[in-house]
Amino acid sequence: MGWSSQQSARLHLEMGILSRYFPTFFLKDSIIPGHAVIEGTLRSNAGNEYLIRLRVPADLPNSVPIVEIVSPVLRDRFGHSLVDLGTSYPMHLLKPENGAVRICHYSASHWHPNITFFKVLLKIRAWIEAYEGHLDSGYAIDHYLPHMEA
Amino acid sequence: MTPLVYVLEEQIRDLLSQTGDVRLVDGVAYGFDDWTVFHAYTEKPYSTPSGRICPCVAMRSDAAGFVDEEKLMLQVRSRVDPDGDPIVVLLAGTDAGGSPSCRALVLTEKGVAGADARFVPRRSELFSRNTGLLETSALADKKVVIVGLGSGGSPIALELARAGIGHFTLIDFDRLELGNISRHVCGVNDLGRYKTLAVRDQVLQKNPYAKVSTMEINVNQSLGQVEDAVAACDLLIVASDNDQSRFNLNQMSLNNNKVTLYGRAITRAAGGDVLRVRPWKGPCYNCVFSSGLIDGREEEMSQKRQALAVLPAYVEEDKINTMIQVGLSSDIAPIANMMVKMALVELSRGIETGMSTVDEDLASDFYVWANRREEAYANWPRMGFKWTHPSILRWYGARIDRDLDCLVCGGHLEEEPTT
Ligand SMILES: [Zn+2]
Repeated sequence: MGWSSQQSARLHLEMGILSRYFPTFFLKDSIIPGHAVIEGTLRSNAGNEYLIRLRVPADLPNSVPIVEIVSPVLRDRFGHSLVDLGTSYPMHLLKPENGAVRICHYSASHWHPNITFFKVLLKIRAWIEAYEGHLDSGYAIDHYLPHMEA
Repeated sequence: MTPLVYVLEEQIRDLLSQTGDVRLVDGVAYGFDDWTVFHAYTEKPYSTPSGRICPCVAMRSDAAGFVDEEKLMLQVRSRVDPDGDPIVVLLAGTDAGGSPSCRALVLTEKGVAGADARFVPRRSELFSRNTGLLETSALADKKVVIVGLGSGGSPIALELARAGIGHFTLIDFDRLELGNISRHVCGVNDLGRYKTLAVRDQVLQKNPYAKVSTMEINVNQSLGQVEDAVAACDLLIVASDNDQSRFNLNQMSLNNNKVTLYGRAITRAAGGDVLRVRPWKGPCYNCVFSSGLIDGREEEMSQKRQALAVLPAYVEEDKINTMIQVGLSSDIAPIANMMVKMALVELSRGIETGMSTVDEDLASDFYVWANRREEAYANWPRMGFKWTHPSILRWYGARIDRDLDCLVCGGHLEEEPTT
C-alpha cells in the first residue's frame, strides 16, 4: 500500500518547511511507506558538517521518526566509537542499527502528530552542539541537554 | 429433581429440516451440578461452553411424526458408560400446532430419566420481551469496532452486547495473562487465549446470534486492515493502551467520518477521561492531546509490553517495573460505563431507545473522572456535602474547541471527506 492522501499532503508540508529552514534536506525512496528517508546535512556552529538521515515512519505522522547520523563516524572524546556505546542515557543515544548512530530526540510518550520534522531536526541540531561540547569538555551530552521525563 | 436440558431451538429446527433416512445424530452436552442441568447441542456449539462434557445423541421424527423410541434406546443403551457419565438423548418432533418440540431423556447405567427440555430461543424471538434474552432489537443492526479488549474494552463489549448491539469487530493482539484476570471480564478458564476470542465467547453468552469478528493484530502495523473495519462500522471505540494507536485510529476516524470514543485510566487508575470525537465537527484526538489535557506520561501502565513501547530504550528495568501500577477493576468500571452510555447515545441517533435526553446532557466532548484525590486530582477538595466544587466520583465535562492549527484536522491539509 502507498501513502494515503493525508500522508502525501503531510510529506509535502514537511518538505515545504524543511526547504525554508534546512534546504539541503531532500526526500529519497518516497514511493513505499516504511522505506522513505529524508537526508541532508546539518552544520554545527563550529562549521562541521553532519550527514543526517531521518526515516519517515510508515504511519506518518503518528509515530516517532528514527534519526541517524550517517557520517562522519562519531567518536567520543576518549576515542570510542559512539556506535559501540550502544543505548546510552548520558549520550542521548538509542540502540544503533546497521552501524549508524541513532539519536534519542522525542520519546514515544511525548510524541504527537503536531511535531514536524523541522522540530525534530532542531533537536538533532542541539544534540550536535552538545556533542561538540562533549568533545571539548569531556562532559556527557546529558550535561548540555535536558532529558525528557520518562 | 428432574434433570433440566437446554437446547438451541435453531439446532432442533435444522435437524427437523433434514430429509432422507432418519438416523442417530451425534452431538455433545455439558453437564453441571451433579448432572442435574445439561446444555445439549446437536452440532458444535457457537462458543466455548463450560461444564462437564458428556455424550448427546439426537433423533428426529420421521415424515409421519413418529419416533421409534425402542430402536433408539437399543442403539443408545450399548453406549452407556459403565463409569457413570450420562448420555443425553434428544427427540425432535413437531407439536400439534406445527412448531418444533423437543423431548429429552438422560440415560445412565441405572436407567432412563425423563428430563425437562427447554429451548434457548431462535434469533427471531431473541428480542421479544419476557421470553427473549435481550429487551431491545433497536440496535441489532449496529456495528461497533472495539480496539483494545483489556480491563476497559472487555466490559464495554459485554455491556453493548447486553444492550442489543448485533455486530462487533474486536481488535487486540494480547493474550490473557494471570496479571489481567482480576480486572478483566474473562477468568482463569481463558488464560493464554487471545483476549479477542475470549471476549467474543463472553459476548456470545449474552447474545448467541451476535456477529463477532476478531482481529489479532497490532493496529500500528496493520493500518489497512483496521481501516477497512473502521470504514464498515457505525461507531469506533478505542480502549487501547498507547497513543500511537490512538493517533492512527484518529486518522481513520477522520478519513471515514466515524464518531469515535476514546477512554483511558491514569496512573493506578486514580481517575481517567473519556473523549468523544465527532469528525470535523469538534476536536479530534490530536487537537485535545496537543492542548495538554491528555498527557501521555500520566497514562496508566498496566503491563511491561506497554511500558517498553513508549519509554526511551535506556530506562532501566527496575524503573519500568515500578511504573507498572494498576488500579482496581472498580476504578476502571466508571470509565468503561461512561463510554458505554456515550456509545448508546451515538448508536441510538434517529432510533427510539430512550437515550435522546442523555444526548442533550452530553454537551461536552471531553469528560474527566477522579476515583481518589491522588495524582492529577491531589489538590481537589474533599467531597463532603457540597456539589458546587470538583470532587471525586463525579463526571466533569470540559469545553474543548477544535484546534484550527491541528496538523491532523486543521484546515491546511485537506478538505473534509464527503463519505
Ligand atoms: Zn485536530
